[in-house]
Amino acid sequence: MKSIRTAAAIATAALSALVLAACGSSGSSSSSSAASESAGGTAGFQSPTTESLGGKRGGTLQVLDESDFEHLDPGIAYYSVDYAVVFAVQRPLYSNKPNSNEPTPDMAEGPPEISPDNKTVTVKLKEGIHFSPPVNREVTSEDVAYAIERGANPNVANPYIQSYFSSIEGMPNATGGPIAGITTPNKHTIVFKLTEPKGQLVVDALVLPLTAAVPKEYTEKFDKHKPSDYASYQVATGPYMLKNNAEGKVLGIGYVPGKSATLVRNPNWNAKTDFRPAYLNEIQIQIGGADSVIGRQVLEGQDSVENDSQVAQSIIRLAAENDKSQLQISPGAGSHYIAVNNKVGPFSNINLRKAFWAALNRSAMVKARGGSLVTDVMTHFIYPTIPGFEQAGGLKGPQVDYNEHPEGDKEIAEKYIKLAGYESGKYTGGETITVVGSRGNPSEQDAEIVNQTLKNLGFTTKFTLVEDATMYAKYCGVPKEEIAVCPSVAWVADFADPQAVLNVTFNGTTITQTGNVNWGQTNDPKINAAMKAAEAVVGRSARATAWAKIDTELVEDAAAIPFDWDKQGNIEGKNVAGVGQLWNVGQWDYSWTSLK
Amino acid sequence: MSLGGAEALSGPRGGLDMIDVGGDIAGRTPWQLFWRRLRQDRVALASLGFIVFLIFVAFAAPLIVDVLGLPGPNVQNLNLTDSFGSPLGPSAAHPFGVDPLGQDVMSRVIYGTRVSLEVGILGTAISTFIGVVVGTVAGFYRGWVDTLLSRAMDVFLSIPILLLGLGIGSACAVKGCAKGLIEPGLGVIIFLIALTTWPFIGRIVRGLVLSLREREFVEASIALGASDVRIMFREILPNLAAPIIVYASLQIPFNILIEAALSYLGVGIRPPTASWGQMVAAATPIFNTAWWYMVFPGTALLATVLAFNLLGDGLRDALNPRSAR
Repeated sequence: MKSIRTAAAIATAALSALVLAACGSSGSSSSSSAASESAGGTAGFQSPTTESLGGKRGGTLQVLDESDFEHLDPGIAYYSVDYAVVFAVQRPLYSNKPNSNEPTPDMAEGPPEISPDNKTVTVKLKEGIHFSPPVNREVTSEDVAYAIERGANPNVANPYIQSYFSSIEGMPNATGGPIAGITTPNKHTIVFKLTEPKGQLVVDALVLPLTAAVPKEYTEKFDKHKPSDYASYQVATGPYMLKNNAEGKVLGIGYVPGKSATLVRNPNWNAKTDFRPAYLNEIQIQIGGADSVIGRQVLEGQDSVENDSQVAQSIIRLAAENDKSQLQISPGAGSHYIAVNNKVGPFSNINLRKAFWAALNRSAMVKARGGSLVTDVMTHFIYPTIPGFEQAGGLKGPQVDYNEHPEGDKEIAEKYIKLAGYESGKYTGGETITVVGSRGNPSEQDAEIVNQTLKNLGFTTKFTLVEDATMYAKYCGVPKEEIAVCPSVAWVADFADPQAVLNVTFNGTTITQTGNVNWGQTNDPKINAAMKAAEAVVGRSARATAWAKIDTELVEDAAAIPFDWDKQGNIEGKNVAGVGQLWNVGQWDYSWTSLK
Repeated sequence: MSLGGAEALSGPRGGLDMIDVGGDIAGRTPWQLFWRRLRQDRVALASLGFIVFLIFVAFAAPLIVDVLGLPGPNVQNLNLTDSFGSPLGPSAAHPFGVDPLGQDVMSRVIYGTRVSLEVGILGTAISTFIGVVVGTVAGFYRGWVDTLLSRAMDVFLSIPILLLGLGIGSACAVKGCAKGLIEPGLGVIIFLIALTTWPFIGRIVRGLVLSLREREFVEASIALGASDVRIMFREILPNLAAPIIVYASLQIPFNILIEAALSYLGVGIRPPTASWGQMVAAATPIFNTAWWYMVFPGTALLATVLAFNLLGDGLRDALNPRSAR
């Protein structure tokens, strides 16, 4: 899963999905009906689901970005803001059009072939795709093989490779050299041989930037450095490239850390091989500044957009009130929920979890996050735009009594507290439970509502707010800390597949001692077994059904307390015809955006 | 021939009327002189009045909030935010508006007085006590005792309080440090302030004791066989009351600001306890849409610090009229 700012802490820990810090993340959607429904509250706003074909060619787009990139190496990048650049300069085997979560063949010639036993995946590459200068030569399947192999090199250390590609023969022990399960029978064919029937998962993950071709003969010397500095010399396959010199050096030219990045047209890009229109001539990215100031500059400016993981709430409001045409709301930007410790402490009791769920005023929680324009009340775990969302109950969610009243219901909460053995209807267990929230708006407000709800239920809490990255890396992601409640953890899938939403976050077999993202340590043998079976299911619709069932079981188990499905607000200048990436929390797509 | 001078000296209304001293000549204690001078300083008196008012507000916070018909400081009500989640501004029901959780800002400002005064007064009392004892001992004994204690003061003076607070805040936030002994909160803030500010007064006291201990009354006490403790704390110390009071009154606002700074940085008072510094911090990112959330706690902080500073100036003038401003 791609991610988010503070996500770095988690991402390095390993797993697939990503956490979104303050709010937004990405999503995807197979069911366009889901997308449009969830966007229902945003009537009157330009939707990012409209591609702008026929835009004006030329011009320079100014991009204002509050914080620096984490990584621009396609083998490492894992953050929604980084993706906005990476997907303009690189072409993975498959990628998403702005309005879609359905993968479109990008460097691949057509859809992948999955063998009947679900253990072999074959992809054919287009001809006529070339690397940017100084490499210039045509891309071959060996470049894709090397791109994936280097992901396992400790100097590159791709954050999601073992989550999605570990079933490839030889991958678990790979360290950067050739991998037995990846073969290239000819210059334009690549074959993945798997040890388990997980072909569909591997295919889904081919949209990740790890599969963007990397020329071995040029890159090897950079990959020998620890860490690899290929990002500073990278070559492109996409319509744009980071500006470089004759030797290919990008650092200090096309990318000045903490200051700026410049994308120019890739002279070797062949429009006939690509579906991107690439209207703009140049994209100039300025790094730094406060989000509320940047937001105003964009709203009052002409040719600029803001590209951040989260636009300030006050700016969204300003745009919504003054000029709605400058605001785009992208649905399916992930979810926020409350992780409750299923393993130790009072919330190992399912009835206390249900009581907490029933009592929580989720309407207040989402209001604190900016209201219905950028949020929906969360009622189950697969979020809008991900296949399985509708099958799992859509916006309304499973009809269980503790899920029925988003504004909280004291009586139902009391019922479950009594079922847990506390006759008074209040928790009287006595011990103090630890609540660790994330500092800053709006997570801080959510944490305070959660803390108050727990107190009202009778719990004695020790309530602490820490930096977002600290919350994940030191507390909520470390089981031995035995944190009882993490009030605002966030998740966004790496691609549009329900497994990417539910597996690592709720599968008991994925719990790790550090960097754990199964924050509540849910470990129900029945659910684990159902997930193992669902992993092997092939076909979008069948997978949606299988994982939706698991979603319902998680609700019945009250594995976590959901409260918010995010929609991401993004803003553009008056002269910009911006196109957002639905699959990437609505970040602006530089290959589709144009100037008016 | 009249002995005018004698008459004047003996008569009830003689020649000395020319230089009327306002009635009978009476011996006045230093405290009476101090009070006479302070009474003439209206700014200091007004500040004193404001501080007395603050102390009353701190003690009677629940009563005041009740009388004003305000909700409690931690009562959340998201119905008091608009459809974008922005808090609503001042109104009859909520004169200072509400915060993003719909909590009444006036109620929180009133309760915030408690934290500021507790930190300001307690922190100062502890640091003054330590400083006076250590400074007196160092100045009285001189020699290696002085060297040892003075170097200790240098060490404590070099502790950067905000960095130490940030360190404790991040290292001990959730589980505490030293088996839970150190946990961010009011106690740790007061401890930090005492730990890092006592050398200021310690140095002043040491310097004064060094000079006082050479005076005749001290030598007389030694000759009479008084114990060291008696000489230090019964003979010398009372002479230092004025500088100690002045210094302490100026230390209080400094400590209030340190609490506000630590809370602003997120390592001070734990939410949901109301603290002015924490409120100002939370208001910063939404100042454009909710000015009241910053202005009222900010004003309370400003007025309180100013009052203590002005009172401190007044006390200095009244206790030591020869000092120049």
